Amino acid sequence: MKDERLEKMKQEYEEIRIPAELRRRVEAGIQKGKEDGEEIIRMNKKSKLIKFVRNTAGAVVAAMLAITIMANSGASIANAMMKIPVLGTIAEIVTFREYKDSTNDMTADVKIPEVSVKNEDGSVNQETTDAVNKSIQEYTDEIIAQYKADVEASGGEGKQLVDLEYEVITDSDRLFSIRFDKLQIMASGAESVKIYHIDKQTGQMINLKGLFKEDVNFIDPISDNIKKQMKEQMAADESKMYFIDSDMPESDFQSITEDTTFYVNDSGKLVIVFDEYEVAPGSMGVVEFEIPTDVIQDIVQDGFVS
Amino acid sequence: MNADDLQKKVEEQILDSYEAMYRLAYTYVRNEEDALDIVQESVYKAIKYSGRVRQEAHIRTWLWRIVMNTAVDFIRKNSREIATDETHETGREDVYQDFDTLEALEILDEREKTIVVLRFFEDLKLDDIARILNENTSTVKTVLYRSLKKLRVRLTEGEMLYEG
Repeated sequence: MKDERLEKMKQEYEEIRIPAELRRRVEAGIQKGKEDGEEIIRMNKKSKLIKFVRNTAGAVVAAMLAITIMANSGASIANAMMKIPVLGTIAEIVTFREYKDSTNDMTADVKIPEVSVKNEDGSVNQETTDAVNKSIQEYTDEIIAQYKADVEASGGEGKQLVDLEYEVITDSDRLFSIRFDKLQIMASGAESVKIYHIDKQTGQMINLKGLFKEDVNFIDPISDNIKKQMKEQMAADESKMYFIDSDMPESDFQSITEDTTFYVNDSGKLVIVFDEYEVAPGSMGVVEFEIPTDVIQDIVQDGFVS
Repeated sequence: MNADDLQKKVEEQILDSYEAMYRLAYTYVRNEEDALDIVQESVYKAIKYSGRVRQEAHIRTWLWRIVMNTAVDFIRKNSREIATDETHETGREDVYQDFDTLEALEILDEREKTIVVLRFFEDLKLDDIARILNENTSTVKTVLYRSLKKLRVRLTEGEMLYEG
């Protein structure tokens, strides 16, 4: 038996009025397409030249990036990270650069922010500033390099879209976090998220581990809570699906790590983020789990969550 | 097949299916003027790039994809003018729509809309829809489930997948 609503919708769809003008517009489109299509064929003959120009442009960008790396990768980052921190750090994004490319159906738009971290007295905290910018640089360089490699491999005839956006998602008394959302559409799309955090009390970059007191086990309580949430969501809504209790236990979600992506949301709750395909089928996209504060309140350092 | 023959095939396919292209475009933008623009632009791109279709058998799927991409681009570019959609984001749960009309599709995002239209109104196979969207078939199936749920349409698995 067919669904009545759907039948009615279909009927209405079929009754969408076709304007008299449509045929003329279609013919105009065909005409113009033919005119421009010939240009394309002519351009193909010059493809060597075009490629040369493109490569040159690529080299310019690469050189710019290289200079930035050198400027930022000052000698003593490792040592600097050990230094005694200053209270009341200010972190902000001072500028950004953009890598843009468009080769037929392949496009990339990668925005690269530059962060500045200042001590309480207003002087620049060069060590953390460099460390953050270097991490961001490595991350964005990799994305750009991958895109360029894909363009090269397909001779510019592939289909791909790479888009990287960033946003400051937390700037509380204690924590400063920049989130990167990467959208990559190739044969199929893949979304992923990367977030950088600066502990404003210590003036250092931190990972998930940095939120917690020393030598406490935060992995298990958080992982257990996520598993519980996965099961609850799947029970409540059949369109939800996670890799848990499946036929293939080896690919099931096991546990988070010290470097698992996280952020602290507006209500002061810790949120754990998984990239597309990491813990769920692609149809679920990027998935996030808000961890109730009572799960971690005994082990988390003051000031991060509430 | 050489480029001229391919272009001819694409042109034939366009002349054969432009009304369907228009209906799909209309479903996205819900007004004649914009739908006409989208069709014209899609036809233009299809002819201009006809050399890129690898197989004759794929021309139809390829046309659908162009219409979909053109419409989505169009909506993005004009989102400020078209979008009454903010209410959708915030009020989706609370809005009681008349589910007997095409308006009901407005509750879906563009990808969901495309899948529902192509599957049920244009009678395409899931495999073809998957190719149009560059997705795998099981993803399309999942999205279809979710969309029908949102539309409060109830079908059996068999009706969803196989019947016209």
